[in-house]
Amino acid sequence: MWIRLTIPFIAIVLFLLEPEFALFSPIEWNGEIIYLVPRFLILYLIFISIYYSRKRAVTYGLFFGLLYDVFYIDIIGLYTVLYPLVCYTAGWSVKYIHQHLSITTILSVVLVALMELILYYFFHFIQFTTLPFKEFLLIRLIPSILANLLYLIMLGWAFKYLIDARVLQKARELS
Amino acid sequence: MPHFSNKKLIILLVGMILLVALISFSLRDRQNATLPEQFIKDSVGLAQSVVAKPANYITGIFYNIQSLLNTYEENQRLKMRLEDFAVLQAEVNTLKSENEQLRELLEKKDSLRDYDPLRATVIARNPDQWEEKIIINKGSSHGVKQNMAVMTTKGLIGKISLVTPFTSEVELLYTNNPNFRVSAMVQGEKVVAFGLIEGYDEERNELILKRIDSSIEISVGEKVVTSGLGGIFPKGILIGEITEVTTEDFGLTKMAYIRPSADFSMLEEVIIAKRSATVIDGSDGDGTNADLTNNTGIPGEGEE
Repeated sequence: MWIRLTIPFIAIVLFLLEPEFALFSPIEWNGEIIYLVPRFLILYLIFISIYYSRKRAVTYGLFFGLLYDVFYIDIIGLYTVLYPLVCYTAGWSVKYIHQHLSITTILSVVLVALMELILYYFFHFIQFTTLPFKEFLLIRLIPSILANLLYLIMLGWAFKYLIDARVLQKARELS
Repeated sequence: MPHFSNKKLIILLVGMILLVALISFSLRDRQNATLPEQFIKDSVGLAQSVVAKPANYITGIFYNIQSLLNTYEENQRLKMRLEDFAVLQAEVNTLKSENEQLRELLEKKDSLRDYDPLRATVIARNPDQWEEKIIINKGSSHGVKQNMAVMTTKGLIGKISLVTPFTSEVELLYTNNPNFRVSAMVQGEKVVAFGLIEGYDEERNELILKRIDSSIEISVGEKVVTSGLGGIFPKGILIGEITEVTTEDFGLTKMAYIRPSADFSMLEEVIIAKRSATVIDGSDGDGTNADLTNNTGIPGEGEE
């Protein structure tokens, strides 16, 4: 029973932890101000999409994306679409790639980088930011991706372990 | 390529239209959150403040360790300043009492400087830091209203941009919103120069103070505080220090770069300043000439 509840529970915890970690950012490093954007939740959802169920991941993405939009961004429809889209793409890619942990990690990070890129162009388009692309790459994208990669290397195996436990449990229930 | 049936295509198209409509609806310069939004904001805010407590505690430990390591150096620096401080304190006290006496003499009660402080805890920061804002745990039920100044003990950090019953959003000074202006003044040695803080330089990470009278001499290192003339903020909240003075594009006025005195990266406790003097309602500077006074009856302002 508790494994079943653990999966959404962790999603909620990650959702609530993201802004807490965002309080550390921006940090000064080597005289440059760099931004670290925590993307804990979407990385977890990508894992769910790849190892568990695409449909479930998309549903979670829709729900948390909506909360994210309303609570933090105030532009409704941005993350509400991006989160399910990323989950969908991740689930779709399962057919073509091997599901090894290291490959999944790299794929997740690449997907998040793509999402950041889309967000950058969106905010550039609506003139929320005037940051040139090169600056964006140096002070936002690369540091964020490295930090999220570190997070995934630390916790990716735990996600996989938990999700595998759930899949096994489900298989047992069916048999 | 996946095959789309007609039905799926229609759903996709309707979805796209809805999406664009939703985005453009929420992109408008809104003053109030809709009811479902308020509900979501308050319930997520409640959960968020539960998580924020242990998180703040843990960051507090890290901060304490860091400050413990610097204790010796800091102690020496502070000792040197302590002597100056005693002199300054005496001076401030005499000035304060003198100010009060003069005020009584003039029978002038409310000053632009007065405000009621309201303490609040930061429960979240917008995680995708594109729009710089933080969310605090005080809302309209605690008396928070839109456009109030928000500061830390070190200086001004922003203003309230959206209020729900139990949370509110603070738009930080580091914003690209062209409507976010703060009327400020430079406290020079002899004269006071007024200007407007308009935007910030993303590469230098400094605020820009524009529209300073070019005949007034200002120099690097001078302090910039709010002037209280914008009708929203109380007077005299420290904003920062001038790092560079240049001429504006057309050469008519001067502009200056300002390094903010408040630390924006580790915000935990903030103070909301509720101005005691008459507050002018409305968003500042949306380009209209509408009458913004709230009809609060300033004497001599003329009848309608």
